[in-house]
Amino acid sequence: MRSFGSQRFTSYLFLAPYGLSFLVFIVAPILVALSLAFTQLDLTSRVPSHLVGLDNFSEALHDPYFGQAAVATLRFTILIVPSLIVLAFGLAIGLQAMSFGRNAVRGLIFLPGMFNVVVASLIWRWFYDGEFGLFNFLLKKVGLPHAPWLSDKSWAMPSIVAMSLWWGLGGATIILFAALQQVPTHLYEAAMLDGATSRGLFANITLPQVRPVLLFVVVTSTIGGFQLFGQSFILTSGGPERSTTGLVMLIYDTAFHKYRLGYASAISWLLFAMIAAFVLLQFFGLRRSVD
Amino acid sequence: MALVALVFLAPVILMLLTSFKTSGEVLNPSTIIPHPWSLAGYAKVLKYSEESPMGLWLLNSLLVSTSVTFLVLLFSSMSAFAIARLRVKGAGKIITLIVVSMMIPGQLFLIPVYLILNWLRWLDTPLALIVPATAGGFGVFMLTQFMKSIPPSLEEAAVIDGCGLWRIYWEICLPLVAPAMATLGIFTFIGSWNDFLGPLVYMDSVRSYTLPVGIALYQSSYVSEYSLTLAASALGTAPLIVVFIILQKQIVASMATSGLKD
Repeated sequence: MRSFGSQRFTSYLFLAPYGLSFLVFIVAPILVALSLAFTQLDLTSRVPSHLVGLDNFSEALHDPYFGQAAVATLRFTILIVPSLIVLAFGLAIGLQAMSFGRNAVRGLIFLPGMFNVVVASLIWRWFYDGEFGLFNFLLKKVGLPHAPWLSDKSWAMPSIVAMSLWWGLGGATIILFAALQQVPTHLYEAAMLDGATSRGLFANITLPQVRPVLLFVVVTSTIGGFQLFGQSFILTSGGPERSTTGLVMLIYDTAFHKYRLGYASAISWLLFAMIAAFVLLQFFGLRRSVD
Repeated sequence: MALVALVFLAPVILMLLTSFKTSGEVLNPSTIIPHPWSLAGYAKVLKYSEESPMGLWLLNSLLVSTSVTFLVLLFSSMSAFAIARLRVKGAGKIITLIVVSMMIPGQLFLIPVYLILNWLRWLDTPLALIVPATAGGFGVFMLTQFMKSIPPSLEEAAVIDGCGLWRIYWEICLPLVAPAMATLGIFTFIGSWNDFLGPLVYMDSVRSYTLPVGIALYQSSYVSEYSLTLAASALGTAPLIVVFIILQKQIVASMATSGLKD
C-alpha cells in the first residue's frame, strides 16, 4: 500500500513543472485579462485603477481607431486567406504532378517560412522601396511609371499581402500536398474506368477527400491573418493613414505606448471574439458542405 | 514547378548577393552580382557598438531558444508521461483544459503576462522570454497522443524488473517517442527564434534584445542603408538556414503531418 501511495505522489511530481507554468502563465493571465477588460488601468494617469463596467468596450465601439484597425485586419484576412488557399492548392497539385525533384522544390517553397517576420519583411521593404527598390526598377525598365507600393493607402495592404504570401505559402502547400498524397489511388482508377473527366475527378474525389485538411488550413490561416503585426511594423509602421494598422498593432500601441492596459485588454477580447466567430462560421460552413 | 521554386528562392539569393554590395552599389538594382564584392556591411554590423550589439543579440537569441526548447521538451514529456502512462486522476479533464487553452490567441496573454512578469521582477531578463514559453499546451497534447500508443507490456516488464517511475520515463518512454520529441523540438526552436512580439514588449534595454527585435529597431535608424540591414538579416537567418538544410526532411515531414492528425 505504501508503495502505491508514493507512486501516486510521484506521478503528480511529473505533472508539477508544466502544471505550475500553466497556472502562472495561462490560467492566471486569463483571469487577469478578464478583470483588466472591466478596469480602467492607465499607467500614466493619477487616477488609481478602478472598475468601470463595460466602459472599455463601449469606448472601443465608438473609437475611430478601433474601427479602422478592425477594417484593416478584416481586409488583410479577406485578401490573404482565399489567395493563399488557391495558390497553395495549385502548388500542391503541381508538386504531385512532378516526376522528379519534388523534394527539392518542396523544400525551396518552404524556405521563406523559416525566416523571421522581421527578416522577411526587410527583404521586401527593399524590393518595394520607391526610389531604390527592385520592383520600381523593373517597372521602369519595361517603360511603366513607378508604383507607390507602400506609400499609397490603397496599395499598401495588397503589397503586405503579396509579401505575406511569399512568406506563408510554403507551410500551407506542404500540408495540402501531404493530404493529396493520402488520397487512395484506387478511387481515381475506379472513376477513370467509369469515364470520369479530370474536372470530375477533382470535384468528386480530390476535393471531398482533402476537405478536412483544407478546413484545417483555412482555419489556421484565418487565425494567422487576424494576428497581422510584424509585417506592418516593418514595412509601413501601420501607415499610410493607419491603413495597415491591424488590431494587434492597436493593442500593442494602446498598451505599451499609451499605457492604457485596461482599454487594450478590452480590445484583445474583441479580437478574440472576432477570431472565434470567423472560425466557427468556417467550421460549420465547410462542415455542412461535406454532407 | 522549377520556375515556381525559383520565385521563392530569388528573394533569398538577392538578399545574400546584395548584402555583399557596397553601400553605393546597393542603390543600383541593375547589377545583380556585386561589383566589387564588399564585406563592409558585415563589418559594420559585427563591429561592437553600444547602439547595436549584434553579437550580443545573437547570443541572447541562442540562449533563449535553446533554453525554451530544452524546458518545453522536458516539461511536456514529463506531463505527457503522467497523463498517458500513469493515468493521474482527471487526466481527461487536464487534456481538455490544455486543448481549450490552445485556442486562445497569444495577444490576449500579452498584457497580463507583462503584469505578472513585472510582479516577478523578470522583465528585461531572459527569464521573461524563457519561462512563459513553457506554458504552451501543444507539446503536452502532442506527446500525450504519442505516448498513449506505447504498448503497456513494456512498462509492466520494467516494473517487474524493479524499475522506478523515473527510470521507466527516462529509459523506456522517452526513447520510444524520440521522433515526436524531435518534431516538437524543431517547432519549438523555430517558434522561439522567430518570436517578435514577446521580446519587443518584455525586453527594455538594448543589451537584452533578441536578434529579431534588435534588427527591427536597428533598421529604423538606417532606413535606406540596405547593405547594412540585409547583412544583419543574412546573419540572423544563417543559423536557421543551417538547421533547415540539415533537418529539411524532418521539418517538412512534421509540417505535413501537423495537418493530418486529429
